[in-house]
Amino acid sequence: MDMNGGPRIVGFLCNWCSYAGADMAGTSRMSYPPNIRIIRVPCSGRVDPLLVVKSFQQGADGVLVAGCHPGDCHYTEGNYYARRRFALLRPLLDFVGIEQERLRLEWVSASEGRKFSRAVASFQEELERLGPRGHRG
Amino acid sequence: MVEEVRDKARELLSAGTVECVIGYERATDGITARPLFAYSPEEADRFILDRTCVHNLARYLLDRKGKPTAVVVKPCDSRTINLLVHENQIERDKVFAIGVTCPGVVEAHWGETTEGLQSRCGSCPLEVPVVYDHLITVPGERQPRTGFPELEKLEAMSPQERLEFWQQQFQRCIRCYACRQVCPGCYCPICFVDQLDPMWVGIKIAPPENQVWHLIRAFHLAGRCIECGECQRVCPVNIPLMLLNQKLTAEVEGMFDFRPGLDAETLPPFATFRKEELEAER
Repeated sequence: MDMNGGPRIVGFLCNWCSYAGADMAGTSRMSYPPNIRIIRVPCSGRVDPLLVVKSFQQGADGVLVAGCHPGDCHYTEGNYYARRRFALLRPLLDFVGIEQERLRLEWVSASEGRKFSRAVASFQEELERLGPRGHRG
Repeated sequence: MVEEVRDKARELLSAGTVECVIGYERATDGITARPLFAYSPEEADRFILDRTCVHNLARYLLDRKGKPTAVVVKPCDSRTINLLVHENQIERDKVFAIGVTCPGVVEAHWGETTEGLQSRCGSCPLEVPVVYDHLITVPGERQPRTGFPELEKLEAMSPQERLEFWQQQFQRCIRCYACRQVCPGCYCPICFVDQLDPMWVGIKIAPPENQVWHLIRAFHLAGRCIECGECQRVCPVNIPLMLLNQKLTAEVEGMFDFRPGLDAETLPPFATFRKEELEAER
């Protein structure tokens, strides 16, 4: 995409922690880049790699997956599975030319509005540094 | 050693131990091999065994669930049996595995075979099948291991170069899904790519759609690919699919010290986790 509006970020936030964390950032009037499009999912373990790959295909410059801290998952262990999955997806993306920095996994609890806004801001900075995707798709 | 295969097949069929023996016979081009399903002892005379026997016959076990079947397996193919038993797709006691040791196989296409071995044989960790009921030793020197040379070449490139390399590969794809049909690990009743609602992958045959297909195909085999190389062999437009699989194989081995199909008990990486791990990779 063109960089006029800044990089486009798709954010998959878990319902129980990170979505509430983003909400906290909002209600506390903390600012964070408007480039992120938030999609609420039941758990970070729900985020199928297909959703991530599909986001990149549809033109996302970066994908942020955020879930509860390890040990705090609402479903006890969904985020542990997510962590393994994305640890393996990142090198695969990198291998086909989508820099692995473009996929981020963050742990954001419901009270961490500040952490959420910082995470999105630093992700945006990183994506601006990387520049637009070489080729859509 | 060919006689050994024929004798064993005859014995199994006439004793009624199995209904069918799956092995190789000479194709009609006179050079390459093709699968043979022998249902009677007489048919067993047609079995062959040499370096052109490239197919992974264990894949056919998915079509013969519950029926006693014998199958000729090379070391790589034998991993299929462990994979499918672990995933509850086949019953071990319904399968009679005729294991053959393997000095490597050649590239075989209709009417021609290469002198040298397939590149995937260079990264093969096995000489003897990991599971068998009867073992046949094939004479022949094993070639030295080469690791993953093509993988390393690609990894040395910049992301932009890799992007261009894969765009060139993916734009040739006609999405015939032969790679899926031949794969022993691809047995979902409805593949994500055939789903219409939601339609995950558009019907347009273009690089972006093709890339989604290839990435997810490879990822669904992460920690499951048994490196038989069938996907790459059947690809009509010669996309080096094994590179994607090998990349994930190498990463899985590095991260989780796991190689699929070596036994039927160890939990694959995505079925388990350790609480203290991977915080640096995140």
